[in-house]
Amino acid sequence: MKVGFIGLGKMGQGMTRRILGGGHDLIVYNRTLEKAADLAGAGATIATSIGDACYGRDVVITMVSDDTAVKEVALGRDGVRESLRPGAIHLCMGTHSVAAVQTLAKAHQEASQRMVSAPVLGRPDAAAAGQLGIVAGGPADAVKECEPLFQVLGRRTFEAGTKPEGAAAIKLTNNFVLGAAIEAMAEAFSLVRKYGVMPQIFFDVMTDALFAAPAYKIYGKIMVDESYDKAGFMTLQGLKDLNLVLAAADQARVPMPSANNVRDRLLGAVAHGDGEKDWAVMAREQARACGLE
Amino acid sequence: MKVGFVGLGRMGSGMAERILAHGHDLVVYDVVPESTARAAAAGARVASSLADLCAGRDVVITMLAEDAAVHAVALGQGGLRDSLPMGAIHLAMGTYGIGTIRTLVAAHAAAKQTLVAAPVLGRPDLAASGQLGIVSAGPDDAVDRCEPLFEIIGRLTFRAGSEPEAASAIKLANNLVLGCAIQAMGEAFSLVRKYDVEPQVLYDVMTEGLFSAPAYKVYGKIIVEEAYDRAGSTIALNLKDANLIIAAGDIARVPLPSGNTFRDRLLSAIAHGDAAKDVAALALEQARACGLA
Repeated sequence: MKVGFIGLGKMGQGMTRRILGGGHDLIVYNRTLEKAADLAGAGATIATSIGDACYGRDVVITMVSDDTAVKEVALGRDGVRESLRPGAIHLCMGTHSVAAVQTLAKAHQEASQRMVSAPVLGRPDAAAAGQLGIVAGGPADAVKECEPLFQVLGRRTFEAGTKPEGAAAIKLTNNFVLGAAIEAMAEAFSLVRKYGVMPQIFFDVMTDALFAAPAYKIYGKIMVDESYDKAGFMTLQGLKDLNLVLAAADQARVPMPSANNVRDRLLGAVAHGDGEKDWAVMAREQARACGLE
Repeated sequence: MKVGFVGLGRMGSGMAERILAHGHDLVVYDVVPESTARAAAAGARVASSLADLCAGRDVVITMLAEDAAVHAVALGQGGLRDSLPMGAIHLAMGTYGIGTIRTLVAAHAAAKQTLVAAPVLGRPDLAASGQLGIVSAGPDDAVDRCEPLFEIIGRLTFRAGSEPEAASAIKLANNLVLGCAIQAMGEAFSLVRKYDVEPQVLYDVMTEGLFSAPAYKVYGKIIVEEAYDRAGSTIALNLKDANLIIAAGDIARVPLPSGNTFRDRLLSAIAHGDAAKDVAALALEQARACGLA
């Protein structure tokens, strides 16, 4: 398959190598060219413009950090919409707002192109190993054409339906459920601390049965160790995602009291200078709120 | 060991049978005489009063559903405080509030008896098979004396320290984390439904990775199937617990925004006539709140 790839951050680096390893013809583009240089050695062609990365491609993947970036790449001058041939697919794999995905889908449809939204679950190590979870939404024929790529990128693909924004909604919702779990743990740890309980004991009780899952084991341990400095996912990134969740909720008229709690907690953490810390630092923010810090 | 047991509901019956099966001398009592039949058939002596139950016992276990019931049994005339021998232990295994535990500790200490709090984690099937989790707290020597009972009732005992209220705080905090997880799922399923996503797809995404634990699998499945009528733990029972959680926060000065959200949704569910439904019906209440039900 003739594939273009835009956005060579930590995730994109691993994903492009998997695509090359799957034997596909790959051309890559990144705003800062140095990030693309290594990939030439691995067999990729380096594009000098977005248009160059789209020309004659069956599928162009975007893996960029936020809504502003994806809109610029897709809808800007010489962007994906202007450069992709009719019938080709924009496979959008970043985590974007429902509204942005809807805007892109409409723009591509008007240009007789197709849009598939396929945000991923997993960190850069999973991307490099081809072990991502992929949530794919879009026209059935287009999703099917992307399958060979999903097979080299992911361990499992979840089909979200024919609307691209459905996939965005699932990804954002999953992040919200995680944020809510972190907030609940934050409240629970400060409650037991006030009653003289060692945090480790509560961690053991919690993760023994009902919550014997990575969300609680990973984030609960960071809270017990108070090791917030080594950020896997930063407070500011969490805040960005929760704002996208609440925007999706606004648009669909869904009151989400827990999501509002999580967002406010993240905002408080940022206000106290913890924006760059791991978002498990919500536990410290909650501890502050009850006079424990 | 000479053991007394008060409160032979669904949990208590299973626990009493385990104690009998391991050869302990057991006397039982319940305010509803019919509920002692199962234990009597298994070899327990049925006491005619609380005073009769307490006479000559080393340990008396209470497994009651509400704080008011344990107050009446322990502190009422002819109750545990009046009737237990000096040096004996009141082993409180129900889920009771912090205020109640403090009252019991003081009352038993004044009568030269000892209170051990040991709330359990698990449903009636685990009680019957001796697979409960137990969180114990109280003076070390008293907890040591209870160990033989914990070994036959439970799969694992977590020792929370020498203050009985610490065990109560841990149990309540664990329930808080569960309540918040269910509330978050309620919000999550409503959001994706508004974007035309099949609830089963979100369930698959969620439980496959980060949340591959019973809390999400059990309650997520009830939400997907909307099977709220076969109640394991009811909305009404959860409101009782939520109130104990918020009270524990009040006493220790711990603001619990997610705990309050959980409690408020339970109240609304009851206002809509869902008191006897499974606690997962929080998702139904959330769906109502956004015009989906």
